[in-house]
Amino acid sequence: MKYAFFPGCVLEGAAKENYIATTKVANALGIELVEIPGWSCCGASHVQDVDELAITALNGRNLALAEAMGLPLLTVCNTCTLMLRKAKAQLDNGQKEKVNQILAKANLHYAGNSEVTHLLWVIAGDYGLEKLKKLVRRPLTGLKVAGYYGCHLLRPPAIMDFEDYANPQSLENLIVTLGAEPVDFSAKLQCCGFHATYPAENDVIRITGRTNQSAAQAGADCIVTPCPLCQISLDINQQEGLRAVEGSRELPVLHLAQLIGLALGFSVDDLGINMLVSGREQFAARLS
Amino acid sequence: MRQITYKIERFDGTRKFIQEYSLVHQPGKTILWGLIAIKDTMDPTLAFTAACRSAVCGACAVRVNGQAVLACETSLDTTLDRFGDVLTLAPLQNFSVIRDLVVDWEEKSERLAAVKTWLMPQDGFSAQTGCRQTGSDFKKINTQAGCILCGACASECSKLTANSADFLEPFTYSKVWKFVADTRDQAATERIKGILDKGLWKCLHCAECITKCPKGLAPGEDIARLRRFSLRMGHDDSSGARHALAFLQDIAETGRLNETKLSMRSIGVWGSIKKLPLALRLLRRGKLNPFHLPRKVAGHDQIQVILKAVKESEQA
Repeated sequence: MKYAFFPGCVLEGAAKENYIATTKVANALGIELVEIPGWSCCGASHVQDVDELAITALNGRNLALAEAMGLPLLTVCNTCTLMLRKAKAQLDNGQKEKVNQILAKANLHYAGNSEVTHLLWVIAGDYGLEKLKKLVRRPLTGLKVAGYYGCHLLRPPAIMDFEDYANPQSLENLIVTLGAEPVDFSAKLQCCGFHATYPAENDVIRITGRTNQSAAQAGADCIVTPCPLCQISLDINQQEGLRAVEGSRELPVLHLAQLIGLALGFSVDDLGINMLVSGREQFAARLS
Repeated sequence: MRQITYKIERFDGTRKFIQEYSLVHQPGKTILWGLIAIKDTMDPTLAFTAACRSAVCGACAVRVNGQAVLACETSLDTTLDRFGDVLTLAPLQNFSVIRDLVVDWEEKSERLAAVKTWLMPQDGFSAQTGCRQTGSDFKKINTQAGCILCGACASECSKLTANSADFLEPFTYSKVWKFVADTRDQAATERIKGILDKGLWKCLHCAECITKCPKGLAPGEDIARLRRFSLRMGHDDSSGARHALAFLQDIAETGRLNETKLSMRSIGVWGSIKKLPLALRLLRRGKLNPFHLPRKVAGHDQIQVILKAVKESEQA
């Protein structure tokens, strides 16, 4: 399996450990990721608030670059997935001619034969959990994992239609495949607030506290999320979040690829788990 | 006989409790059928609201297994397929509960009225001639005009759940946009000014409202429309507006986000200083590199050409 890889800005910055883990895990699974040369920011769910046509056209360029590689586009970020799929939906439903006139000035063309997918969807879908199971070297037996989906892999369902937004199962099925135990928790499908970090900071901190507390009270040893933005928000704001809800137990928040990588036999250091802000010592102790 | 269970979150004015009702399954029914069957045959004290049974009046919105739906139009069989034969019904979130599944709309109505969600007709109109517009102009606001005030979006809104003091119900933003975009209305700029400090930039982008609206509205998209309109009016002096503008600026400059500059651009020097403890935490974990300045991506010239062509297209 081969994909045009769209890492997204955050994998070059505050979630660079997810780049490390994703490339190692993809390699171990036999999924070839070829980074799209010259990809640009997806707009991060913000640029449409300034100029909708601009972000549709810029993501039209990203899609055209993947099409030129002849490969389906793969991301590891919920918001990148949504932004690129939203642009594709707009292009395929009336905007294609207009945007292609714009892209033509940059010698680009959007044909519409691209596909935009996410690592979780690939593994739970075409790749298959049975195939993954055969590669598990170190089953995560006894590890209780809270699977936190994040909004933009599920909503809005007209664009994000991999599974039922109200009752998704892919993350739990994947956790079971790795030998761990999924825990049900009330905040599983809720929003982390990342995109309003600046204008609604106090709300986001409270949400962080409530989410982590919800997972901790359900008995989780860690949270895992397919979205690096959720990971950042739940991890780096955790001290303030715990204070806001008068909680005390730090909880490590892992990227999806990090949890998979552990079961494949990679070490904590291999996967950048030592770069987590919260709960990493307890997690390392729990693993040993 | 297949039995199904409604576990209903009840409230008697002082006490919340869960009550379970067992029903014999009947195919082809709705969630509301079950509520009416319980009230008619088992427990006349159960309180809920419903009227039209046609997804028009908006009275019967409830939460089923954590999802706000119109009870009258939601297929029971589809819901059972989704969640199994035990369903949990609760009143809408983010509303005060009067009793059982009945919520209080009084405060919501006051908040809606506070931003003047009624037509302020242009001066040329009169009582005699009315306020006419073309069919194509009405089509621009037709979707928003379809809001039935069921409250589903408000129930699911992540921002309202976090804090409702500085944010409005999503349906309210859709109604404000409807009047801003209404060719018969004369108060667009006044309306925008009226919501600048009522949460315009505080939406969390969770897309719950877009997902749960039973009438196909997308309040989150209407918030984006209001934001664009406000920026065109020059209202760019808020952390949310500056944050959004910073992303487009970064794409124009290099193609990618500059995390180091983002904080300064969004919340300024003083705001960034207050974030120093967080920045140090990230520095210690190797997650922040203040010296990392993104270089221009390959094909940056294409990005500049595209942005220039977009501007020309928008001005045409």
